[in-house]
Amino acid sequence: MDLNNITQEEFERIEAYLNNLLSKEDLLIFENRLQNEKGFATKVEDIKTVLTGIEAQALKEQLDRFHEELSTNDKDTIPFSPKVKSFQLRKIAVAAALIIAAGSFWFLNRNSNEQLYADFYAPDPGLPTTMSSTDNYEFYEAMVSYKQGHYKDALKTWTNELKTEIDNDTLNYFVGSALLADKKESEAISYLENVAKQDHSIFKSDAFYYLGLAYLKNNNKEKAKEYLQKSDFTKAKDLLKKLN
Amino acid sequence: MREAYKTNNTLQMVDAIKRNDAITLKRIYNNNYPKIETLVLKNNGTKAYAKDIYQEAFLAVWQNVKQDKFIPQSESSINGYLYTIAKNKWMDVLRSQGYKKTIIASQMSYFEIKDEENNGMDDDILKDKRLEDVMHAFKNLGDACKSLLRKFYFEKKSMKSIAKELQLDSASTRNKKYRCMKKLKDIALSNN
Repeated sequence: MDLNNITQEEFERIEAYLNNLLSKEDLLIFENRLQNEKGFATKVEDIKTVLTGIEAQALKEQLDRFHEELSTNDKDTIPFSPKVKSFQLRKIAVAAALIIAAGSFWFLNRNSNEQLYADFYAPDPGLPTTMSSTDNYEFYEAMVSYKQGHYKDALKTWTNELKTEIDNDTLNYFVGSALLADKKESEAISYLENVAKQDHSIFKSDAFYYLGLAYLKNNNKEKAKEYLQKSDFTKAKDLLKKLN
Repeated sequence: MREAYKTNNTLQMVDAIKRNDAITLKRIYNNNYPKIETLVLKNNGTKAYAKDIYQEAFLAVWQNVKQDKFIPQSESSINGYLYTIAKNKWMDVLRSQGYKKTIIASQMSYFEIKDEENNGMDDDILKDKRLEDVMHAFKNLGDACKSLLRKFYFEKKSMKSIAKELQLDSASTRNKKYRCMKKLKDIALSNN
Protein backbone atom coordinates (compact mmCIF):
# COMPACT_ATOMS: atom_id res chain seq x y z
CA MET A 1 0.00 0.00 0.00
CA ASP A 2 1.76 3.08 -1.16
CA LEU A 3 0.09 6.43 -1.02
CA ASN A 4 3.31 8.41 -1.27
CA ASN A 5 3.31 8.46 -5.01
CA ILE A 6 -0.29 9.56 -5.17
CA THR A 7 -0.85 13.28 -5.49
CA GLN A 8 -3.70 15.00 -3.75
CA GLU A 9 -5.46 15.41 -7.07
CA GLU A 10 -5.12 11.75 -7.91
CA PHE A 11 -6.28 10.75 -4.46
CA GLU A 12 -9.35 12.92 -4.76
CA ARG A 13 -10.17 11.54 -8.17
CA ILE A 14 -9.98 7.96 -6.90
CA GLU A 15 -12.10 8.89 -3.94
CA ALA A 16 -14.68 10.49 -6.20
CA TYR A 17 -14.70 7.32 -8.30
CA LEU A 18 -15.27 5.13 -5.24
CA ASN A 19 -18.14 7.35 -4.15
CA ASN A 20 -19.70 7.36 -7.63
CA LEU A 21 -19.16 11.07 -7.99
CA LEU A 22 -17.25 11.22 -11.28
CA SER A 23 -18.85 12.85 -14.30
CA LYS A 24 -19.58 10.67 -17.30
CA GLU A 25 -16.49 11.71 -19.25
CA ASP A 26 -14.20 11.46 -16.22
CA LEU A 27 -15.60 8.03 -15.49
CA LEU A 28 -14.74 6.84 -19.00
CA ILE A 29 -11.18 8.10 -18.69
CA PHE A 30 -10.90 6.56 -15.26
CA GLU A 31 -12.15 3.15 -16.37
CA ASN A 32 -9.76 3.25 -19.27
CA ARG A 33 -6.88 3.83 -16.87
CA LEU A 34 -8.11 0.99 -14.66
CA GLN A 35 -7.82 -1.37 -17.60
CA ASN A 36 -4.64 -0.15 -19.19
CA GLU A 37 -2.44 1.51 -16.63
CA LYS A 38 -0.28 -0.95 -14.80
CA GLY A 39 -0.69 -0.86 -11.02
CA PHE A 40 -3.56 1.60 -11.12
CA ALA A 41 -6.21 -0.91 -10.15
CA THR A 42 -4.15 -1.93 -7.10
CA LYS A 43 -3.84 1.71 -6.13
CA VAL A 44 -7.61 2.09 -6.27
CA GLU A 45 -8.10 -1.08 -4.25
CA ASP A 46 -5.67 0.21 -1.63
CA ILE A 47 -7.52 3.45 -1.20
CA LYS A 48 -10.78 1.58 -0.98
CA THR A 49 -9.28 -0.51 1.82
CA VAL A 50 -8.08 2.60 3.62
CA LEU A 51 -11.51 4.22 3.44
CA THR A 52 -13.22 1.05 4.63
CA GLY A 53 -10.67 0.67 7.42
CA ILE A 54 -11.28 4.19 8.70
CA GLU A 55 -15.01 3.66 8.69
CA ALA A 56 -14.77 0.24 10.33
CA GLN A 57 -12.48 1.44 13.10
CA ALA A 58 -14.62 4.52 13.72
CA LEU A 59 -17.62 2.23 14.02
CA LYS A 60 -15.77 -0.05 16.37
CA GLU A 61 -14.99 2.86 18.67
CA GLN A 62 -18.60 3.94 18.45
CA LEU A 63 -19.69 0.44 19.46
CA ASP A 64 -17.43 0.64 22.49
CA ARG A 65 -19.24 3.78 23.55
CA PHE A 66 -22.60 2.07 23.09
CA HIS A 67 -21.29 -0.77 25.15
CA GLU A 68 -20.14 1.43 27.99
CA GLU A 69 -23.56 3.03 28.21
CA LEU A 70 -25.13 -0.38 28.01
CA SER A 71 -23.22 -1.64 31.02
CA THR A 72 -23.85 1.50 33.04
CA ASN A 73 -27.56 1.31 32.30
CA ASP A 74 -27.28 -2.37 33.03
CA LYS A 75 -28.99 -4.08 30.17
CA ASP A 76 -31.55 -1.39 29.59
CA THR A 77 -32.63 -1.82 26.03
CA ILE A 78 -34.18 0.99 24.11
CA PRO A 79 -37.83 0.17 23.75
CA PHE A 80 -39.51 0.99 20.47
CA SER A 81 -41.94 3.78 21.08
CA PRO A 82 -45.06 1.66 20.48
CA LYS A 83 -43.89 -0.74 23.16
CA VAL A 84 -43.80 1.94 25.82
CA LYS A 85 -47.54 2.06 25.97
CA SER A 86 -48.02 -1.66 26.21
CA PHE A 87 -45.35 -1.80 28.87
CA GLN A 88 -47.33 0.66 30.94
CA LEU A 89 -50.41 -1.40 30.29
CA ARG A 90 -48.62 -4.49 31.40
CA LYS A 91 -47.60 -2.76 34.63
CA ILE A 92 -51.20 -1.82 35.25
CA ALA A 93 -52.27 -5.35 34.38
CA VAL A 94 -49.77 -6.78 36.84
CA ALA A 95 -50.93 -4.39 39.55
CA ALA A 96 -54.53 -5.24 38.82
CA ALA A 97 -53.74 -8.94 38.88
CA LEU A 98 -52.08 -8.54 42.26
CA ILE A 99 -55.07 -6.73 43.69
CA ILE A 100 -57.46 -9.30 42.32
CA ALA A 101 -55.24 -12.11 43.55
CA ALA A 102 -55.09 -10.61 47.04
CA GLY A 103 -58.80 -9.95 47.04
CA SER A 104 -59.74 -13.38 45.88
CA PHE A 105 -57.35 -15.24 48.14
CA TRP A 106 -60.05 -15.80 50.67
CA PHE A 107 -62.50 -16.87 48.01
CA LEU A 108 -60.08 -19.26 46.34
CA ASN A 109 -59.43 -21.02 49.59
CA ARG A 110 -63.01 -22.15 49.64
CA ASN A 111 -63.25 -23.27 46.05
CA SER A 112 -61.97 -26.78 45.85
CA ASN A 113 -61.53 -27.06 42.07
CA GLU A 114 -59.64 -23.81 41.99
CA GLN A 115 -57.59 -24.95 44.92
CA LEU A 116 -56.69 -28.25 43.32
CA TYR A 117 -55.79 -26.51 40.12
CA ALA A 118 -53.53 -24.13 41.99
CA ASP A 119 -51.90 -27.04 43.80
CA PHE A 120 -51.24 -29.02 40.67
CA TYR A 121 -50.73 -26.48 37.97
CA ALA A 122 -47.21 -25.42 37.10
CA PRO A 123 -46.48 -24.05 33.63
CA ASP A 124 -44.67 -26.40 31.27
CA PRO A 125 -40.97 -25.61 31.72
CA GLY A 126 -40.50 -25.17 27.96
CA LEU A 127 -37.82 -26.47 25.65
CA PRO A 128 -34.10 -25.89 26.23
CA THR A 129 -32.98 -22.86 24.27
CA THR A 130 -29.22 -23.24 24.45
CA MET A 131 -27.80 -23.24 20.95
CA SER A 132 -30.52 -25.51 19.66
CA SER A 133 -31.50 -25.48 16.02
CA THR A 134 -31.27 -21.81 15.34
CA ASP A 135 -32.60 -22.22 11.84
CA ASN A 136 -35.78 -21.46 13.71
CA TYR A 137 -34.54 -18.71 15.98
CA GLU A 138 -37.90 -16.95 16.09
CA PHE A 139 -39.45 -19.98 17.70
CA TYR A 140 -36.67 -20.19 20.27
CA GLU A 141 -36.67 -16.49 20.88
CA ALA A 142 -40.34 -16.80 21.76
CA MET A 143 -39.40 -19.77 23.95
CA VAL A 144 -37.10 -17.48 25.89
CA SER A 145 -39.96 -15.00 26.38
CA TYR A 146 -42.20 -17.85 27.48
CA LYS A 147 -39.69 -19.00 30.06
CA GLN A 148 -39.37 -15.49 31.37
CA GLY A 149 -43.12 -15.38 31.85
CA HIS A 150 -43.74 -13.03 28.95
CA TYR A 151 -46.52 -15.22 27.64
CA LYS A 152 -48.13 -12.61 25.45
CA ASP A 153 -44.86 -11.95 23.61
CA ALA A 154 -44.34 -15.65 23.04
CA LEU A 155 -47.92 -16.05 21.85
CA LYS A 156 -47.53 -13.31 19.31
CA THR A 157 -44.72 -15.19 17.55
CA TRP A 158 -46.14 -18.65 17.92
CA THR A 159 -49.69 -17.94 16.80
CA ASN A 160 -48.20 -16.24 13.79
CA GLU A 161 -46.09 -19.29 12.96
CA LEU A 162 -49.10 -21.48 13.53
CA LYS A 163 -50.86 -19.81 10.62
CA THR A 164 -48.59 -21.61 8.20
CA GLU A 165 -48.22 -24.78 10.22
CA ILE A 166 -51.71 -25.45 11.49
CA ASP A 167 -51.03 -29.03 12.57
CA ASN A 168 -47.60 -28.59 14.10
CA ASP A 169 -47.89 -30.31 17.47
CA THR A 170 -45.02 -28.42 19.10
CA LEU A 171 -46.55 -25.06 18.20
CA ASN A 172 -50.04 -26.13 19.22
CA TYR A 173 -48.74 -27.46 22.49
CA PHE A 174 -46.80 -24.34 23.42
CA VAL A 175 -49.51 -21.95 22.31
CA GLY A 176 -51.82 -23.95 24.57
CA SER A 177 -49.29 -23.88 27.40
CA ALA A 178 -48.74 -20.16 27.09
CA LEU A 179 -52.48 -19.45 27.05
CA LEU A 180 -52.93 -21.63 30.10
CA ALA A 181 -50.09 -19.86 31.87
CA ASP A 182 -51.72 -16.60 30.86
CA LYS A 183 -54.94 -17.78 32.56
CA LYS A 184 -56.87 -18.24 29.36
CA GLU A 185 -57.96 -21.80 30.00
CA SER A 186 -60.86 -21.87 27.58
CA GLU A 187 -58.70 -20.66 24.71
CA ALA A 188 -55.92 -23.06 25.65
CA ILE A 189 -58.21 -26.08 25.44
CA SER A 190 -58.69 -26.04 21.66
CA TYR A 191 -54.94 -25.91 21.01
CA LEU A 192 -54.19 -28.67 23.47
CA GLU A 193 -56.91 -30.79 21.94
CA ASN A 194 -55.19 -30.41 18.58
CA VAL A 195 -52.14 -32.02 20.15
CA ALA A 196 -54.09 -34.73 21.97
CA LYS A 197 -55.57 -35.80 18.65
CA GLN A 198 -52.16 -36.57 17.23
CA ASP A 199 -51.25 -40.10 18.17
CA HIS A 200 -47.55 -39.80 17.60
CA SER A 201 -46.92 -36.49 19.27
CA ILE A 202 -44.32 -36.53 22.02
CA PHE A 203 -46.44 -33.93 23.78
CA LYS A 204 -49.50 -36.14 23.92
CA SER A 205 -49.25 -37.13 27.56
CA ASP A 206 -48.45 -33.56 28.58
CA ALA A 207 -51.41 -32.34 26.54
CA PHE A 208 -53.77 -34.78 28.30
CA TYR A 209 -52.56 -33.65 31.69
CA TYR A 210 -52.89 -29.95 30.97
CA LEU A 211 -56.28 -30.49 29.32
CA GLY A 212 -57.38 -32.16 32.54
CA LEU A 213 -56.21 -29.14 34.49
CA ALA A 214 -57.79 -26.66 32.09
CA TYR A 215 -61.18 -28.35 32.35
CA LEU A 216 -60.82 -28.52 36.11
CA LYS A 217 -60.21 -24.79 36.19
CA ASN A 218 -63.39 -24.37 34.14
CA ASN A 219 -65.26 -26.46 36.70
CA ASN A 220 -65.88 -29.25 34.21
CA LYS A 221 -64.96 -32.15 36.46
CA GLU A 222 -66.13 -34.90 34.12
CA LYS A 223 -64.04 -33.75 31.17
CA ALA A 224 -61.13 -33.18 33.50
CA LYS A 225 -61.26 -36.75 34.73
CA GLU A 226 -61.60 -38.10 31.21
CA TYR A 227 -58.36 -36.44 30.13
CA LEU A 228 -56.42 -37.11 33.30
CA GLN A 229 -57.13 -40.81 32.88
CA LYS A 230 -55.46 -40.75 29.49
CA SER A 231 -52.23 -39.21 30.76
CA ASP A 232 -49.54 -41.53 32.11
CA PHE A 233 -48.11 -38.91 34.44
CA THR A 234 -48.09 -39.82 38.13
CA LYS A 235 -49.23 -36.33 39.00
CA ALA A 236 -52.23 -36.93 36.72
CA LYS A 237 -53.07 -40.02 38.71
CA ASP A 238 -52.60 -38.19 42.01
CA LEU A 239 -54.95 -35.47 40.92
CA LEU A 240 -57.45 -38.03 39.70
CA LYS A 241 -57.46 -39.65 43.14
CA LYS A 242 -58.30 -36.33 44.75
CA LEU A 243 -61.12 -35.74 42.31
CA ASN A 244 -62.74 -39.09 42.95
CA MET B 1 -50.70 -0.03 2.16
CA ARG B 2 -49.27 -1.72 5.17
CA GLU B 3 -46.75 -3.66 3.11
CA ALA B 4 -45.66 -0.55 1.28
CA TYR B 5 -45.20 1.25 4.54
CA LYS B 6 -43.15 -1.59 5.92
CA THR B 7 -40.92 -1.78 2.87
CA ASN B 8 -40.37 1.91 3.01
CA ASN B 9 -39.43 1.64 6.65
CA THR B 10 -36.93 -1.10 5.93
CA LEU B 11 -35.39 0.92 3.15
CA GLN B 12 -35.00 3.81 5.54
CA MET B 13 -33.34 1.55 8.04
CA VAL B 14 -30.88 0.19 5.47
CA ASP B 15 -30.14 3.72 4.40
CA ALA B 16 -29.61 4.74 8.03
CA ILE B 17 -27.16 1.87 8.52
CA LYS B 18 -25.23 2.89 5.44
CA ARG B 19 -25.07 6.45 6.74
CA ASN B 20 -23.87 5.16 10.13
CA ASP B 21 -26.82 6.83 11.77
CA ALA B 22 -26.02 6.64 15.47
CA ILE B 23 -29.59 6.21 16.69
CA THR B 24 -30.27 3.28 14.39
CA LEU B 25 -26.93 1.60 15.07
CA LYS B 26 -27.39 2.03 18.79
CA ARG B 27 -30.88 0.60 18.74
CA ILE B 28 -29.74 -2.49 16.84
CA TYR B 29 -26.68 -2.83 19.06
CA ASN B 30 -28.56 -2.53 22.33
CA ASN B 31 -31.48 -4.69 21.35
CA ASN B 32 -29.34 -7.64 20.33
CA TYR B 33 -26.51 -7.69 22.82
CA PRO B 34 -28.37 -9.33 25.74
CA LYS B 35 -29.25 -12.40 23.67
CA ILE B 36 -25.69 -12.89 22.54
CA GLU B 37 -24.31 -12.34 26.01
CA THR B 38 -26.65 -15.04 27.29
CA LEU B 39 -25.55 -17.37 24.51
CA VAL B 40 -21.85 -16.92 25.24
CA LEU B 41 -22.23 -17.04 29.01
CA LYS B 42 -24.24 -20.23 28.81
CA ASN B 43 -21.58 -21.81 26.65
CA ASN B 44 -18.37 -21.50 28.56
CA GLY B 45 -17.74 -17.84 27.77
CA THR B 46 -17.25 -14.63 29.70
CA LYS B 47 -18.70 -11.15 29.31
CA ALA B 48 -15.47 -9.95 27.70
CA TYR B 49 -15.70 -12.70 25.10
CA ALA B 50 -19.35 -11.89 24.54
CA LYS B 51 -18.51 -8.27 23.81
CA ASP B 52 -15.71 -9.12 21.37
CA ILE B 53 -17.69 -11.72 19.50
CA TYR B 54 -20.70 -9.49 19.34
CA GLN B 55 -18.80 -6.50 18.01
CA GLU B 56 -17.08 -8.60 15.37
CA ALA B 57 -20.43 -9.94 14.27
CA PHE B 58 -21.88 -6.43 14.27
CA LEU B 59 -19.09 -5.17 12.02
CA ALA B 60 -19.60 -8.09 9.65
CA VAL B 61 -23.34 -7.43 9.41
CA TRP B 62 -22.78 -3.73 8.91
CA GLN B 63 -20.27 -4.41 6.17
CA ASN B 64 -22.54 -6.86 4.37
CA VAL B 65 -25.45 -4.44 4.54
CA LYS B 66 -23.26 -1.66 3.18
CA GLN B 67 -22.14 -3.78 0.27
CA ASP B 68 -25.65 -5.09 -0.39
CA LYS B 69 -24.46 -8.62 0.22
CA PHE B 70 -27.17 -8.90 2.80
CA ILE B 71 -30.45 -7.16 2.07
CA PRO B 72 -32.61 -7.26 5.17
CA GLN B 73 -36.36 -7.63 4.78
CA SER B 74 -37.04 -6.14 8.19
CA GLU B 75 -35.29 -5.20 11.37
CA SER B 76 -35.96 -8.63 12.79
CA SER B 77 -34.15 -10.25 9.88
CA ILE B 78 -31.11 -8.13 10.79
CA ASN B 79 -31.43 -9.31 14.37
CA GLY B 80 -31.57 -12.93 13.30
CA TYR B 81 -28.62 -12.54 10.96
CA LEU B 82 -26.59 -10.86 13.67
CA TYR B 83 -27.38 -13.65 16.08
CA THR B 84 -26.43 -16.37 13.60
CA ILE B 85 -23.09 -14.76 12.79
CA ALA B 86 -22.27 -14.21 16.46
CA LYS B 87 -23.21 -17.79 17.21
CA ASN B 88 -21.02 -19.13 14.40
CA LYS B 89 -18.14 -16.98 15.56
CA TRP B 90 -18.51 -18.20 19.09
CA MET B 91 -18.51 -21.78 17.86
CA ASP B 92 -15.33 -21.08 15.93
CA VAL B 93 -13.74 -19.89 19.17
CA LEU B 94 -14.94 -22.98 20.99
CA ARG B 95 -13.51 -25.21 18.27
CA SER B 96 -10.20 -23.40 18.23
CA GLN B 97 -7.17 -25.02 19.82
CA GLY B 98 -6.93 -22.91 22.93
CA TYR B 99 -10.48 -23.62 23.80
CA LYS B 100 -10.75 -27.27 22.89
CA LYS B 101 -8.57 -28.28 25.78
CA THR B 102 -11.02 -26.96 28.29
CA ILE B 103 -14.17 -28.39 26.79
CA ILE B 104 -15.28 -31.96 26.91
CA ALA B 105 -16.11 -33.70 23.68
CA SER B 106 -19.72 -34.37 24.60
CA GLN B 107 -20.39 -30.68 24.86
CA MET B 108 -18.92 -30.02 21.46
CA SER B 109 -21.38 -32.16 19.54
CA TYR B 110 -24.08 -29.93 20.86
CA PHE B 111 -22.80 -27.08 18.75
CA GLU B 112 -22.79 -28.72 15.34
CA ILE B 113 -24.11 -26.33 12.78
CA LYS B 114 -25.92 -27.02 9.60
CA ASP B 115 -24.27 -26.28 6.29
CA GLU B 116 -26.88 -23.84 5.13
CA GLU B 117 -26.09 -21.54 7.99
CA ASN B 118 -22.53 -21.26 6.82
CA ASN B 119 -23.08 -19.05 3.86
CA GLY B 120 -19.44 -18.13 3.78
CA MET B 121 -19.97 -14.40 3.58
CA ASP B 122 -20.33 -13.67 7.22
CA ASP B 123 -16.95 -12.52 8.32
CA ASP B 124 -14.65 -11.70 5.45
CA ILE B 125 -14.25 -8.16 6.72
CA LEU B 126 -11.89 -8.85 9.57
CA LYS B 127 -9.81 -11.45 7.84
CA ASP B 128 -8.19 -8.90 5.56
CA LYS B 129 -4.75 -8.19 6.97
CA ARG B 130 -4.40 -4.85 5.19
CA LEU B 131 -7.72 -3.69 6.48
CA GLU B 132 -6.66 -4.68 9.94
CA ASP B 133 -3.50 -2.58 9.55
CA VAL B 134 -5.54 0.44 8.51
CA MET B 135 -7.92 -0.01 11.42
CA HIS B 136 -5.05 -0.27 13.82
CA ALA B 137 -3.38 2.78 12.34
CA PHE B 138 -6.55 4.80 12.56
CA LYS B 139 -6.88 3.83 16.18
CA ASN B 140 -3.46 5.30 16.87
CA LEU B 141 -3.75 8.36 14.69
CA GLY B 142 -3.44 11.76 16.40
CA ASP B 143 -6.66 13.33 17.60
CA ALA B 144 -6.85 16.15 15.07
CA CYS B 145 -6.50 13.91 12.03
CA LYS B 146 -8.65 11.25 13.54
CA SER B 147 -11.50 13.61 14.18
CA LEU B 148 -11.22 15.09 10.70
CA LEU B 149 -11.21 11.74 8.91
CA ARG B 150 -14.01 10.51 11.12
CA LYS B 151 -16.19 13.42 10.09
CA PHE B 152 -15.57 12.70 6.42
CA TYR B 153 -15.76 8.95 6.31
CA PHE B 154 -17.85 7.85 9.24
CA GLU B 155 -20.19 10.73 9.90
CA LYS B 156 -20.22 11.42 6.16
CA LYS B 157 -20.44 15.15 6.62
CA SER B 158 -20.07 17.37 3.59
CA MET B 159 -16.85 19.16 2.76
CA LYS B 160 -18.70 22.43 3.21
CA SER B 161 -19.86 21.74 6.75
CA ILE B 162 -16.50 20.33 7.84
CA ALA B 163 -14.68 23.36 6.43
CA LYS B 164 -17.07 25.57 8.31
CA GLU B 165 -16.46 23.70 11.57
CA LEU B 166 -12.72 24.05 11.13
CA GLN B 167 -13.08 27.67 10.05
CA LEU B 168 -11.05 26.95 6.94
CA ASP B 169 -11.74 27.34 3.27
CA SER B 170 -12.51 24.21 1.33
CA ALA B 171 -9.11 24.03 -0.41
CA SER B 172 -7.25 24.00 2.91
CA THR B 173 -9.65 21.44 4.33
CA ARG B 174 -9.07 19.15 1.36
CA ASN B 175 -5.35 19.53 1.74
CA LYS B 176 -5.59 18.78 5.42
CA LYS B 177 -7.56 15.66 4.70
CA TYR B 178 -4.96 14.54 2.18
CA ARG B 179 -2.15 15.05 4.66
CA CYS B 180 -4.06 13.13 7.32
CA MET B 181 -4.49 10.26 4.89
CA LYS B 182 -0.74 10.21 4.30
CA LYS B 183 -0.09 10.19 8.00
CA LEU B 184 -2.51 7.34 8.47
CA LYS B 185 -0.84 5.37 5.73
CA ASP B 186 2.58 5.95 7.21
CA ILE B 187 1.45 4.44 10.51
CA ALA B 188 -0.19 1.52 8.71
CA LEU B 189 3.02 0.82 6.77
CA SER B 190 5.24 1.02 9.85
CA ASN B 191 3.23 -1.81 11.33
CA ASN B 192 4.53 -4.21 8.74
